[in-house]
Amino acid sequence: MHNGDILAVQDLHVSYGASQVLFDVHLSIRAGQLVTCVGRNGAGKTTLLRTVAGFLRPTSGSILFNGGSLIGLRPYQIARMGLKYVPQDKRVFSDLTVRENLELASHATGDYDWAPVVEHFPRLKQLLDHKGGYLSGGERQMLMIGRALLGQPSLLLIDEPTEGLAPGLVDHLKDVLKALSRKTTLVIVEQNLPVVSAISDKIYAVKEGRIVAEISDPQAIKANVCERYL
Amino acid sequence: MRRVLRWWSGIFLAFLVVGALRVFMPLPFANEIVILSIYVMGCNFLLGRVGFISFGQPAYLAVGAYATAFYLFYFGQNPYLGILLGVLAGAVVTFLIGPFFVRLRSDYFALVNLALAVIMYYLMEKVLARITHGDNGLWFLTRMTSTSGLDLTRPGQFFVFAFVVALALWGFYKYLDETIYGACCLATKVNEDKVRFLGYSNLHIRWLAFVIANTTTALAGSLYAIYFGFVSPEITSPHRAADPVVVTILGGVGTLYGPLVGAIAYTGMKDVLSRVIVNWEFFVGFLLVFIMLAGERGLWDTLEQVLRRPRRIAGRPWTPNS
Amino acid sequence: MDPQLLISGVIFGLSMGSIYFLLAIGLSLCFGLMRIISLDQLLYYSVGAYLTYTVQVATGNVWAAVLVGALVAGLVSLAVERFVFFRIYARDITFTMITSFGVLIGGVGAIKYIWGLIPRPAAIPIQAQAAIFGTAVPVYRLIVIALSVLVYLGITLFLNRTITGKAIRAGIEDVDHVEGLGINVYRLFTITFVIAGMLSGLAGGLHAPLIMVDPQMGLNVLAFVFMVVIIGGLGSIKGTLISAFLVGQVTSLGSLVYAPLAQMAPFAIMLGILLVKPTGLYGSKFLKR
Repeated sequence: MHNGDILAVQDLHVSYGASQVLFDVHLSIRAGQLVTCVGRNGAGKTTLLRTVAGFLRPTSGSILFNGGSLIGLRPYQIARMGLKYVPQDKRVFSDLTVRENLELASHATGDYDWAPVVEHFPRLKQLLDHKGGYLSGGERQMLMIGRALLGQPSLLLIDEPTEGLAPGLVDHLKDVLKALSRKTTLVIVEQNLPVVSAISDKIYAVKEGRIVAEISDPQAIKANVCERYL
Repeated sequence: MRRVLRWWSGIFLAFLVVGALRVFMPLPFANEIVILSIYVMGCNFLLGRVGFISFGQPAYLAVGAYATAFYLFYFGQNPYLGILLGVLAGAVVTFLIGPFFVRLRSDYFALVNLALAVIMYYLMEKVLARITHGDNGLWFLTRMTSTSGLDLTRPGQFFVFAFVVALALWGFYKYLDETIYGACCLATKVNEDKVRFLGYSNLHIRWLAFVIANTTTALAGSLYAIYFGFVSPEITSPHRAADPVVVTILGGVGTLYGPLVGAIAYTGMKDVLSRVIVNWEFFVGFLLVFIMLAGERGLWDTLEQVLRRPRRIAGRPWTPNS
Repeated sequence: MDPQLLISGVIFGLSMGSIYFLLAIGLSLCFGLMRIISLDQLLYYSVGAYLTYTVQVATGNVWAAVLVGALVAGLVSLAVERFVFFRIYARDITFTMITSFGVLIGGVGAIKYIWGLIPRPAAIPIQAQAAIFGTAVPVYRLIVIALSVLVYLGITLFLNRTITGKAIRAGIEDVDHVEGLGINVYRLFTITFVIAGMLSGLAGGLHAPLIMVDPQMGLNVLAFVFMVVIIGGLGSIKGTLISAFLVGQVTSLGSLVYAPLAQMAPFAIMLGILLVKPTGLYGSKFLKR
C-alpha cells in the first residue's frame, strides 16, 4: 500500500447477514490507473464495488479514498466526494428522457457541462429527447457512464460495462474506457478477458471472496496470466 | 413416555402460569387472557410462520361469534353446539375465500383483510340488521342451558374449558411446527420459487394455513360469544383491527409462547392503564411504535434472554428475521 | 331514474372521489418512492379536519382554517417522518406498515385526549347551491372537486417539470441509482412524505364540513381509501385518480340503486380486480411478496 493511493482498501470483510462474502480484501489503486477485477460469477466483485460505493457496510476493514475513510458514509455522500459507481444492471430511468437523466446528474453535481459526455458518446446527442425505456442496451450503458462523468469524478467504479453488448460496441466501449482513464481513475469489473488485457494497468483476480492475484506487470497482463487464478 | 412428557413440558409450564393467574387474579381477567391468546394464536401463526399480516382478524372473529350467536339466539340452547357451529362456519368461510386472499402480496393481503373487517361490520350492523339486530346485538346469555360436564354458563367452569381448549391448540400448533407441513409454511415465507421447484404448491400451503389460522380465530370468536352471552357488530369494528397485531408483536412474532405472553402483557396493560389514563389507545399506539423501533423480537425473546434455563425445556422459539 | 337524483348522485360521487384521491395520492407516492405503506396518512387527515374545525370556530373563516389544517398536518407528518420513518426505511414493508398503524392508533388517542370523544360539527363555508342541468347542487362540493383537479394538475406539473419531481419519479423506479448520482434521497423522502401529509390534511379539512369531525374519522375512511389505492395500484398517480373516482361513483350511484350494498360494492370490485390483476389496475410489480 502506498501513501499516494487514491483508493486503499485493507482487511475488508463483508457479509450478507450470516454468510460472509468477502474475506480479507486488499486493494491499492493509484490515481490515473485503470484497474480491473476479474473473477467468476459470484466471486464477490460486485459486492466489493458496492461496499466501496457505500451501499454495503463492511463488518471490518478500512476503505480510504484520498486518505479519508469512506466507512459509514452514505452512497450519495461518497458520490459527491468524487467517487461514482456505475452498476451492472444497465438500468436508466426509463420514464425520463436522456436529457432528463443527464439533468438529474447535473443537478446533483452542479456540473452542467455536457461536452465531455457528448465527446465520448456522440450517439447520446441524437437521443436526448428519447425516453430511457426506449434505448438499446448499448445506448443505456453509454448513458449510465455518461451520467456518472458529470461532476468530474476522480474515481469511477464500473461494473461489467461490456456485458451483453455486441462486439462492435464492446470495441467502441473499450476505446472510450481507455480514453476516460487519462483523466479519471477507473476500477472496472470485467469478465471479457481480451478487453481486460487490452486496457488494464493492473488486474486483481477475485476468487470466492478473496483476492488471489495482483498483476501489475504489463507483459503478464497482455498474456492473460490472470486466467490461471480463476 | 418420557419423550412425550418432555414435549409437553414447556407447554405445561406456560399453562401453569396461566393457572396461577387464575388463582391470583380476578376470574374475568384470566378468562380474557385465555380467549385473547387463542385469538392471537391464529394471527401469530399467520404472521410468524407464513409471513402474512392481517389487519382484518376481527372479521373472522365475527364469523365465529355470529354463527354461535345465530344458533343460540334462534335455534338451540346448547353452548357446546354453538361453539362447534362457530368453528364450522369459520372453516367454511375461510376455505371459500382462502384461494382469493392468499394469492395477494403481503401488503395487499393486510389491507384486503381490513376491508373485509369493515364489510363484515357493515354487514352485521346494517345490511343484515333484521337478523343481527344491528347495534343492539344478540343477547342469549339466559338462553344457554347448563350442560352436564362443564357448565359453560358459569365463568369458573368456562375458564376450565377455555383453558383446556387453549392447551390443546397449543399442542396442535407445536405439533404443526414439527411436521413437514410446518416446514413448508416457513419455506413458502422465505423462498417461493424453491418451494415450487420442490414440487409443492405455494397456494395450497398458504390456503391451508389461512384456514387453520382463521378457524382458530373463529373459535376465539365463539368463545367470546359464549363468555359474554352477547354479540354485537362491535366485535368486528375496524378499530379493533390493531389489537391482535399489537399482541402478536408484543409477545414475539412466530414464537410459540408469544400469544400467551402477549395476551398477558396486553390485558394487564389495558387493565392497569385504563384505570389511570382514560384513553390508553395513545399509549398502545406509542408502545407499538416503540417496540417496532426498538426491536421486533417481543417480550418472550427478551424474557428468554434473561432466564436461560427455560430455553431448554420450552424449545427454541423461531424468530423470522434472524 | 329521476335525472335530478342521478346528477346529484354523480356530483356527490365526484366530491367523495376527490377526497379519496387527495388521500390516496399521498399513499401511492409514499409507496412508490419509499416502499412504505403509510397508514398514518389517515392521522394527518384527522389532524387536518380537527384543526379546520378549531380554527374555523375561532376565526369564522373556513378557508383559512382548511389552509391551517393542511399546514399543521404537514408539520405533524414532518415530525413523524424525522423521528419514526427515518429510522426504518430499510426494513421490510410489513414492518413499516405495522409501525405506521401504531402511529395512527397513537395519534387517534392523542386526538381523543385533546379534543375529547364527542363529534364536532364544522361549518360549510358556502351554503349556496348552483344549478347543474336543472338540479340544485351544493357549490361547496363543486369547489372540492375543482380543488382536487387543481391538485392533480399541480402534482403532475411538479413531477414532470421540476427537477425535484423528476428525481422523485426516478426514485420510484430505482432509489439506489438516484443516490448513486449524488442526490440526497433522504431529503426526497422527507419532501414526499410531507407533501403526502399536507394533501391528507387538505382532504381532512375539505371533508370536515361535509361530515362530523370525530376521533375515529380516520379509521372510518381507512378501508375505503385503501380500496381505492389497491384498485388503482400502489405507485400509480393515474391509477389512483381513476380508481378514486370510480369508487366515489360506485358508492354514490350504488346507494341510489340499493343503499345497503353500495358500501360493499367497492369491496367486490376490489376483489374482482385483484383476481385478474393482483397488483391493481396500474400497480407496479416491483415487490415479490
